[in-house]
Amino acid sequence: MSQGFEPVMGRRGVLAGGTALSLLPGVAAAAAARMRYITANNNPYDILDPHQVFDIGRIAIRLNMYDALVRWVDNPPKLEMWLAEKVDISADGQVYTFTLRSGVTFHDGTALTAEDVVWSMERILGLKKGAYGLFSDVVMPGSTKALDARTVRFSLNKPFAVFMAVLSELWVVNSKVVKGREKDGDWGAEWLTRNEAGSGGYRLKRFDPAIGFQCERFEGHFMPFPKGAVDDADFRVSMETATRVLGMIKGEFTTTDGYMPAEQVERMKASGNVWFKEAESIRTFYFIMNHNKAPMNDVNLRRALCCMFDYDGFNNNILGGTVVRNPGIIPNPMWGAPKDLKGYSYDIDKAKWYLAQVKDKLRPLQIGAMAGYPQSEQAAQMLQAGAAKAGLEIKVVAEPYTTIAPKLDDPDRAHDLVPLWRSAYFADPHNWTGYLFNSKNFKAGNASFYKNARVDELTEQALVVTDQEKRRPLYEEVSRILVDEAVGLFVNNTKFFGPYGKSVKSVRFCPIGDTQDIRWIEMNG
Amino acid sequence: MRLIALVLRRLLWMPPTLLGLTLIVFSVSHVIPSDPARVLAGENAPVEQVEALRRKYGLDRPLPEQFVRYVRDVVGGNMGVSLYTQRPVASDLVERLPATFELALFAIVLAVVVGLPLGVVSALKRNTWLDHAIRLVTITGLAMAAFWLAILLQLLFSMKLNLTPVQGRIDGWGPEPITGFYTVDAVIRGDWETLGSALRYLFLPMITLAIPAMATIVRFTRAGVLNVMNSNFVFYQAAMGLPRRVVIWKYILRAALIATLTQIGLVFGNLLAGAVVVETVYSWPGLGTYAYNSILQSDYNAIMGFTLFTGSVFIGMNLLVDVAQAVLDPRGR
Repeated sequence: MSQGFEPVMGRRGVLAGGTALSLLPGVAAAAAARMRYITANNNPYDILDPHQVFDIGRIAIRLNMYDALVRWVDNPPKLEMWLAEKVDISADGQVYTFTLRSGVTFHDGTALTAEDVVWSMERILGLKKGAYGLFSDVVMPGSTKALDARTVRFSLNKPFAVFMAVLSELWVVNSKVVKGREKDGDWGAEWLTRNEAGSGGYRLKRFDPAIGFQCERFEGHFMPFPKGAVDDADFRVSMETATRVLGMIKGEFTTTDGYMPAEQVERMKASGNVWFKEAESIRTFYFIMNHNKAPMNDVNLRRALCCMFDYDGFNNNILGGTVVRNPGIIPNPMWGAPKDLKGYSYDIDKAKWYLAQVKDKLRPLQIGAMAGYPQSEQAAQMLQAGAAKAGLEIKVVAEPYTTIAPKLDDPDRAHDLVPLWRSAYFADPHNWTGYLFNSKNFKAGNASFYKNARVDELTEQALVVTDQEKRRPLYEEVSRILVDEAVGLFVNNTKFFGPYGKSVKSVRFCPIGDTQDIRWIEMNG
Repeated sequence: MRLIALVLRRLLWMPPTLLGLTLIVFSVSHVIPSDPARVLAGENAPVEQVEALRRKYGLDRPLPEQFVRYVRDVVGGNMGVSLYTQRPVASDLVERLPATFELALFAIVLAVVVGLPLGVVSALKRNTWLDHAIRLVTITGLAMAAFWLAILLQLLFSMKLNLTPVQGRIDGWGPEPITGFYTVDAVIRGDWETLGSALRYLFLPMITLAIPAMATIVRFTRAGVLNVMNSNFVFYQAAMGLPRRVVIWKYILRAALIATLTQIGLVFGNLLAGAVVVETVYSWPGLGTYAYNSILQSDYNAIMGFTLFTGSVFIGMNLLVDVAQAVLDPRGR
């Protein structure tokens, strides 16, 4: 077990002090009224270092104990200034100069300065882990400068319009503390794995990778908390869905993941002990199609596949309306998603017609469904059933993601189709288009091995222009091309059904983090 | 002297057995087409990032070289670093061991305390309704999937009767560890509230683990008692006029226990090593959940470390059982 800071009092001292304080009526009442919030997570919190991980499962660590220059809030997500109070962007879109807020301190009381921002960026580039891939192409080691204590300048080696969006993953660590814990040039990685050195709204109290972590509100944080804000929060690991559901119904947990199967949502609703925050998220579900293998490189086969899937049956019957139809890859609520995009519909006759146009000889296709994810397996079976009606044989293989993921890097080993989700790492259409379909990203996001000069041109052009209104039509055109060429089989956008215990009064949903940013939560009395 | 020779012989066999086990698990885990570096790097990671991770963890080396390096490190006391916790695997295992050991110990004690008498009664009342009832219960206990049993128990004791928590190991975060066994630490400190909490959380996982263990013990005890009951020495003791109670509990049970003891040892080893499902359902922070997460994430070093640990436990338990058997039954020395 580990604690973020050395105790300043011995155990007896703490107990004695606590007892004495609790004899005062006002203090005792205040102590009793502390708002406690317990999250059950289906991922292990095995590492606390914000620069070594870049995933959704452990985002609570980063959102609550660390701050970045900017932060995503609300739905659709808006990027707000956070540690920074203003930014100047050069005309060529390559130099970003941020002015930091004054008076920001880390949890140990030292001032957060531009040097900490610089060192944090260098640390990400040096560790080559976590969010490294977001910056490595445009920020060179040593290029970030602290102009003074409150001014930091990023000089990119080329325009990168999503730089502001990805800066939300530049979590600033206390460089003095972490440097002091470095071992053999490890950037303090060993120490920060089990400790924290942040400035976020909550600070670490206890950590046990087998259980989770506990944090308490950091009263010295620069951003005011809402009335009734959470005082103490536990983030606990509970891998089994049934256990998390029972824990919610019984009141052992205050909340858990917001993407439960429909029947579990109904079960919690029926208990009367749980209320739900419902919102359309930005997490699209689609089938990756491997364009490298014939006949998958034939647009007619791909269109046929798109007509073989019963969208209505899957989205509304199997998933009980917990999702919404999303005809393209960019989630409906995001800018850049064309509002008039029709997409494909379930039509076996049309599928047969497209199949008849396929030039290469048809062969049985293979879907690699993600084992342990019922929606992925159900979608695979639904497509298999539709294909059978159209006269195409499809085999379904269920494999764990750890087996599927490396195959996605290898066009020869990759399955023909893989049904999965594209999560929101940052709220910019580039997350769903450039990363997934630009041919420069083979083995680094583009698992379709799709190459289209126009899509490459549009997605690259959209990275040069910084004005959102100029970027919008570029992404809309990309979306239309992807649907026209049936580059993937785009199924739905997920709805968030966040379960909350009765002690929670309100939450502020943002798809980046799914309400795990607990500073926005208000508790009842 | 023969006993010492037996122990030495068993200890000499330990390294080659563990080496064989390591080779099998290494081969199996690396045959699966998985790439922990890719998974660790994440979805958008560029190739250079994935390759850097592969180099860092030696995953870019040929498999035989990886295996030789691993064995060399293990012999030197280093089980490698977990890809996910970024800590030495040995430290992870040691940290999680008390939770699993405490659970397994409670489960085996319960299984023995209930299972032994039931086995004896079942044998003594052979082919009566009581015997049939006990056998039915034990077969059910053996056949029931731990996952299903765990959920049933949660529904009954936690949700309907509101007697136990659904999951976890203790209220809040537990006391600062002395031994790591919450019950023992609570007793050492005289903290009865913590002891009560720890026992309430132990109850359901303990029952879930104990039921199949108990079923095994009942069946072996029953078979052993039936076997011994027809021995000449038992007829002799009865003919000597010894009370039936003394004949059963002193002579028959002692002789019958030899087979049961072997099973108790193996069952305990199994509880330590195989509580993966039960720990996962109850969010029990022990070795089982560690193994579960390691497998999900293809964390090779952690999987290998866990397997070596469980292999050692089984070898150790077998050794203890052999020694105990030799003590109880002079013919085996």
